Amino acid sequence: MNTATIIVTIILFVIIIISMQKFLSGGTGIVILKKELKSIFYSPIAWIVMALVMLLNGFSFIAALEILRKADVDETLIGYTFSSTSFWLTYFFIFPVITMRLFSEEKKLGTIETLLTAPVQTIHLLLAKYLAALVFYFIIWLPSAVNFFLFRISSVDNANAIGSFLGAYAIILLVGIFNISIGCLASSLTKNQLVAAMACFTFCMLHFLVGFILQDLPVPESWQGFLFYFSTVKHVQIFISGLIDSRQFIYYLSFTILILSFTYNVLEYRKWKT
Amino acid sequence: MIKVSNLSKQYVERTAVNNISFEVEPGEIVGFLGPNGAGKTTTIRMLTGYIPPTSGTASIGGHDVFSESIKARQKIGYMPENVPLYDDMRVREYLRFRAELKGLRGQEARQGVNEAIDLCGLKQIRRQMISSLSKGYRQRVGLADALVNNPELLILDEPTNGLDPNQIRRFRELIKQLGIRHTILISTHILSEVEMTCNRVIILNEGKIIANGEPNDLSRKLRSASTISIELKTSEEKVKDLIAAIAGIKKVSKEHQSGEWGYFTIRAEPGNDVRESIVNLANAQEWPLREIRTQHATLEDAFVEITQANTSDS
Repeated sequence: MNTATIIVTIILFVIIIISMQKFLSGGTGIVILKKELKSIFYSPIAWIVMALVMLLNGFSFIAALEILRKADVDETLIGYTFSSTSFWLTYFFIFPVITMRLFSEEKKLGTIETLLTAPVQTIHLLLAKYLAALVFYFIIWLPSAVNFFLFRISSVDNANAIGSFLGAYAIILLVGIFNISIGCLASSLTKNQLVAAMACFTFCMLHFLVGFILQDLPVPESWQGFLFYFSTVKHVQIFISGLIDSRQFIYYLSFTILILSFTYNVLEYRKWKT
Repeated sequence: MIKVSNLSKQYVERTAVNNISFEVEPGEIVGFLGPNGAGKTTTIRMLTGYIPPTSGTASIGGHDVFSESIKARQKIGYMPENVPLYDDMRVREYLRFRAELKGLRGQEARQGVNEAIDLCGLKQIRRQMISSLSKGYRQRVGLADALVNNPELLILDEPTNGLDPNQIRRFRELIKQLGIRHTILISTHILSEVEMTCNRVIILNEGKIIANGEPNDLSRKLRSASTISIELKTSEEKVKDLIAAIAGIKKVSKEHQSGEWGYFTIRAEPGNDVRESIVNLANAQEWPLREIRTQHATLEDAFVEITQANTSDS
């Protein structure tokens, strides 16, 4: 980690904090955020999604425990859990489910018009919806953290180091921040929730696969550094090893800001279309 | 309250609103009338800041709807066409959300919601899910939403669309009642509505304002350009030409012939009372005349006359 990356990380955080602060003081943003969270948690969908994700996480967890029990290995419990096939198979289904209705439902019902003709700034609407999805995403992962936490108190050997634990959750949240912005964009583009879900899934998966496939291609040495940026799998491995790398923060956060700004322009599209 | 000058909205394939200007004074109830597709909704969407104009300006209470959009929007209670609502919320919860969205907090919000509920008669259904409401109640919830922060200006886009006659009557009463405290702009294509509730009407056709005045004035203007129907006992072909030759008559058309009696409709030019000349002619030609009647123009006639005269393809 050199000084340049540290500075950029700090700048990014400052931008995010400033925009959030403006958002919080605006008032209407909070009102929408509250309403969004209510409509997520008052509907059965949220609880079904949480239960199913818990089930799948539990499955990955047990699979990881099996590996640890069978042989002497040099990875941690968390490492095995988050690199298992069952984890990656299910991971990308979460994003379409929690983002697909964000804007497409408003468009379909026509309530986007009542929202944007109330004294509400588009940017506040966007941030409120994005944050609501993000909060839900965070909450989805809480039960799995309890898994590790309980295991940590009860187990004698240091099967899950604290660095590994923090790193794993940092990267899970970071990748989530990025992928949810993709979901926001997909949802703002269409009235149809199914199309939004499919587009979100495709682009999240595509981003993942590009990093996944390119890293194994025989590319010139000089490209390796560049391709590393796309490789979510490698990022996860690095973070799980306990190394919290600022480059990944910059990569995911700056892309999130870019994609949210696309979403903003999609929402404002009606203002400049002819 | 509303000041619109040279407002236009140009889409690639058509001009939705073409250089319109009008003003609405505080306290007026203005009917925004026009056939479907005349540009009413587009104009309203520009007024509410939902879409920007291609050219021209509009301001609400002195705030430009585009450059000071938030301030202008704070003065407006807007009920869009077809009343979009969240189906997964309860009536009171929804109104509370809308009140907070419009900047009311705590006690203020509670009071605004309660007043809107009372005014729109939503007391019995305030705990119901919006998805379970009938069309009439949805409409009232939409109106309550528009009213919740007690805005100076109410903009209602086709508020009686899809209601049954009883509901329409109740809705009109409500609007009249609201007109005491608010400036109201109602868009509609139902004429009787405007005639009964509005003190001014703006008729829009193909994106242009073609009439702007009091409903009575508009129909009176047409009444002077009146239509006369007569019944004459004759079947001669030259009748039409002879009547048409009288000074001040614009058009004579034969409606039908029933036995010996012929039925004619005569359009006279504005300000000319031609009835005497017609009677004299009938006497001179010895056609028995059994009825001569002036048809009183309603706003409906005004509307049909004005919109058709201005529609290029008819």
